[in-house]
Amino acid sequence: MNQKSRAGIAIRAGLMILCIMLFSAETPAVAGDTLNYRLKWLFNTSVAGDIIADTGGFFKKAGLDVSVNEGGAGKNAIKELELGYANFGVASADQVIRALEKGADVVVLAQLFQVNPMQWIYRSDQPEIRELSDLKGRHIGVTFGGNDETIMNTLLAKAGFTSKDVRISSVRFDFTPFLKKEVDVWPVYRNSQGVILEERLAAEGEQVKFFNPADYGVAFVANSVVTSGTMLKKHPETVKAFMTALLSAWEFAVDPANEPQVLAQIKKKDKGTKNNIRQKQLKATRPLIKPDKGTKIGIIDVGAWQQTERIMIQEKQIVAPVDVTSRLVGPKK
Amino acid sequence: MLFRRIYQFLIVYCLGVTGLLAIKYATGLSNYVIPDLTLLFDTARRMLTGYFFDVLNTLSVTVLGQMVSIFMAFFVGIIGRKSSWLGSFIKVMAYNIQAYPIVALAPIIFILMGDGFLSRLLIASMICYFPLLLSVLGIMASPIKDIEHFYIATGRMRWQLEVKIRAFENLNKLTTVIAGSATLAMAGTIVAEFIAADQGVGYSIRIALYQSDLARILVALFSIGIIISVYQGILETVGEQIKTKWFAPKGGELL
Repeated sequence: MNQKSRAGIAIRAGLMILCIMLFSAETPAVAGDTLNYRLKWLFNTSVAGDIIADTGGFFKKAGLDVSVNEGGAGKNAIKELELGYANFGVASADQVIRALEKGADVVVLAQLFQVNPMQWIYRSDQPEIRELSDLKGRHIGVTFGGNDETIMNTLLAKAGFTSKDVRISSVRFDFTPFLKKEVDVWPVYRNSQGVILEERLAAEGEQVKFFNPADYGVAFVANSVVTSGTMLKKHPETVKAFMTALLSAWEFAVDPANEPQVLAQIKKKDKGTKNNIRQKQLKATRPLIKPDKGTKIGIIDVGAWQQTERIMIQEKQIVAPVDVTSRLVGPKK
Repeated sequence: MLFRRIYQFLIVYCLGVTGLLAIKYATGLSNYVIPDLTLLFDTARRMLTGYFFDVLNTLSVTVLGQMVSIFMAFFVGIIGRKSSWLGSFIKVMAYNIQAYPIVALAPIIFILMGDGFLSRLLIASMICYFPLLLSVLGIMASPIKDIEHFYIATGRMRWQLEVKIRAFENLNKLTTVIAGSATLAMAGTIVAEFIAADQGVGYSIRIALYQSDLARILVALFSIGIIISVYQGILETVGEQIKTKWFAPKGGELL
């Protein structure tokens, strides 16, 4: 073997080792080391409890060093758990179910949203949607491939409608088609985009209403806190401490008595939103996290998870059942 | 030329997938992070036909966008070749505008023009246009002194002749740039579809991303790669034929 080919083999072996090290590097998960918590979306009022857990010192008090990281369009907490980049994360139910179908080792520790913030906004001067049959003939926006498409398809099937009974349009990142009245019913996150749109239209003298699928029996679960099965098995005390701190922070965040402190902390992370909008967003977030005084924050609604799995099978989002209930390890309803 | 492009793509694609599979098995990742071959083939069986038509849809916009940008690049390049104030102004403007990321303008285009055909065409043309323009400007502004001197000295030089001489002498470069710009036009169209359109393969990739489905993305990339290879191969073959025709004097042998 000459020197050139030996050097080639050495380079290839080096690259392979580097590759394996890069992807197999597990982030530390024991007390004293930094834990990574990957959110689903950017810092905003919707993640008030997560922000407070960090900046309000809840994690610190529990003896944990946690790095709370923003999510975003290309971020996926479950993949990061598997790749070792995160120890905890926030994922929607459909992400969890899809991951389970493909063999991911993920468990659900708490269900943050008791009511899915994914709702539809429409103008008050249009006929009110009291029954599902009132959707007939409407021009409805959906994000093809998104949760809202699955939810809307379920609602339409429940109403006995076919694609001819309504007009469906693809939704993109900006609200222009809704603002220009090209689309009547537009999907929004009730506590973030919903508040912004409501304000913008109010400025134009228009009032809005929201159409909540949960009112018509479709309880599609939204964001939940997840970790890997391995993490839960190897470090149950760390998981327990993390969840206790996080849920206490959420209790603090949704308590109206703490509003000024909470808004001040959110402002540090979400500088681009106006104060009055943040306040309204927090007000809209409270009933989604804690619909009534008796509800324990983070409690897992097993029935809703089962329904979400059924819907995903009906909508051919997954091929076979995944028995999601076996992966719900947090406190249940 | 055509088959070589396809072989090259297949080698690169297979190497990429092999690399992913190596990482998957070396680190024990589930199919959610990196799909195995079974899942990949199953996804291909279900999605490939649909993606093939999506890519054709994208390609139709790409071809049109590329034609628009070639026309624009030659038009501006020919005007800007002179060392007059107009030529210098056009050159400076072209260099400065191309520094601005077109993708950043895409959302504004979609807000103003909606998510239909025109937005996709405009973004594809813009992304493809500037690199083309810079090459055409460079070629057209560089005199071929040995040849041009003869026509200038004999008083027979016209602008059409000047353009022909410079194009002829740089035919290899022009063919390569035009074939290469096909990839840019395709990328531009896909970016446009990814941001906001409601059809084409970029839109399909966006849906697959929403669902964190890497298998679908890999199948979509395969469709894109095969079709763009064929398209580039055709462009290069046409370029070769034009070269052969130009180099061969009428009724004579190749020089």
